Amino acid sequence: MTKAVATISPTRMELIRLRRRIELAQKGHDLLEQKMDALMMEFLGLARRIRVKRKEAFGKLLEAHRKLLRCMAWMGTAETIQASLETARELELEVSSRSIMGVRVPMVEEVRARRKPTERGYSLHTGSALLDEAALQFEETLSALCGLAEMEEAVRRIGRELERTRRRVNALEYVLLPRLKSMVAFIAFRLDEMERDNFARLKRIKAMLEGREWRK
Amino acid sequence: MKCKIAAVGDLETITGFGLAGVTHLHLHRERAETLEKIKALLSDPEVGLILLTARVKEELSEELGELLKFKGPLPMVLTIPDKEGYYPPAVDELERLVRRTAGVEVVLG
Amino acid sequence: MEEIVLRELVRLNAHLPKRRVSLKEALEKPVVELADGGTHQFRRSELELLKSLLPEEDWDSLKIPILIEMDPKLGRGAGRIRGKLECRVVAKVLGKQEREELVLYLPELAELRGKLQTTTEYLFTA
Repeated sequence: MTKAVATISPTRMELIRLRRRIELAQKGHDLLEQKMDALMMEFLGLARRIRVKRKEAFGKLLEAHRKLLRCMAWMGTAETIQASLETARELELEVSSRSIMGVRVPMVEEVRARRKPTERGYSLHTGSALLDEAALQFEETLSALCGLAEMEEAVRRIGRELERTRRRVNALEYVLLPRLKSMVAFIAFRLDEMERDNFARLKRIKAMLEGREWRK
Repeated sequence: MKCKIAAVGDLETITGFGLAGVTHLHLHRERAETLEKIKALLSDPEVGLILLTARVKEELSEELGELLKFKGPLPMVLTIPDKEGYYPPAVDELERLVRRTAGVEVVLG
Repeated sequence: MEEIVLRELVRLNAHLPKRRVSLKEALEKPVVELADGGTHQFRRSELELLKSLLPEEDWDSLKIPILIEMDPKLGRGAGRIRGKLECRVVAKVLGKQEREELVLYLPELAELRGKLQTTTEYLFTA
């Protein structure tokens, strides 16, 4: 701290310059704080929505597993696995990118996961009704899980941006601005001191001159 | 952009998602093997979503933690429960993230 | 340290689109290019919602994304919406009274962002 203080020259120019820097830093701080507030709002909103979506998606998933177990019990595990491997497994997601305050986040548009039994590709077995049910439920679950994945990815990235922004805000508020302000205080004090010294000197000179005049 | 889905986990999980049309299925048996598979999936440009069971995530948490931290927006990675609904708090990043970011005082509905 | 801050400030609004598009344009091509080079896709369901809130003749006047102006002078956690059509749509979405200009506070902003995630965006002004 003392090192920095020693290198600044206590001039009026410097004071003006510093005051301008403070103004800019303060403005920067306020703007970044706004961004931080907005990010926090997004973050909390997403967290809330994730909790809701999880209940829905995981609920569907559990139901899907129940149906699968029923199918395996009826058809046999090996047969069910066989059917799964026979299925046409080329499901595609349409993924695009969106931005939340500059944070790139993936977005999944409508997933056409639901298929008709004939579209799935496995050959018809006995007990295929149970197989169809299980397959359908897993398809439904997938749609919900895609929406959830999107949100979880977003919340993670926003969390990171939020932390970065907060660090900048704190650096301004707790390091830069106080430092600048104390430099201003120092210069103001020194200028004041020099002025008082000057004033005292002038007084003495004046007294000397008056003294000479008087002796004349 | 169109991309495929992957599922990594136990038998019932991959069987079920296979029936739904998921392309890449990996049955988790050995740590090293599964880790390699996940790495491959993460760098496959055709894969848009990886479904991972909580049990696998927990078992490989150390190595996965690093991989997931430095991955890009795609593929998305989602941790899911298995047929028993296993989803321990240790695996739930969201809780930790909220606490770290927003502070414990924040109570969500 | 100040260079870091300046850099942050420069990119503060770089996430905004180079050019906003009208609802009509977006219905045909739901993408915009952002100032920082990235692309932003609008969600179909949101475009449909916006469609349902305005008569067809207004579709080429409404500009999206709708901008939420965060101005420190309004205080923390407050945003302003400008534009007659924009305000009308936002007021309808939130169930509020329509006005020439709207100032929204935290809970309303959260609701708006929740319903129109890809068709609204923040703008930071000094």
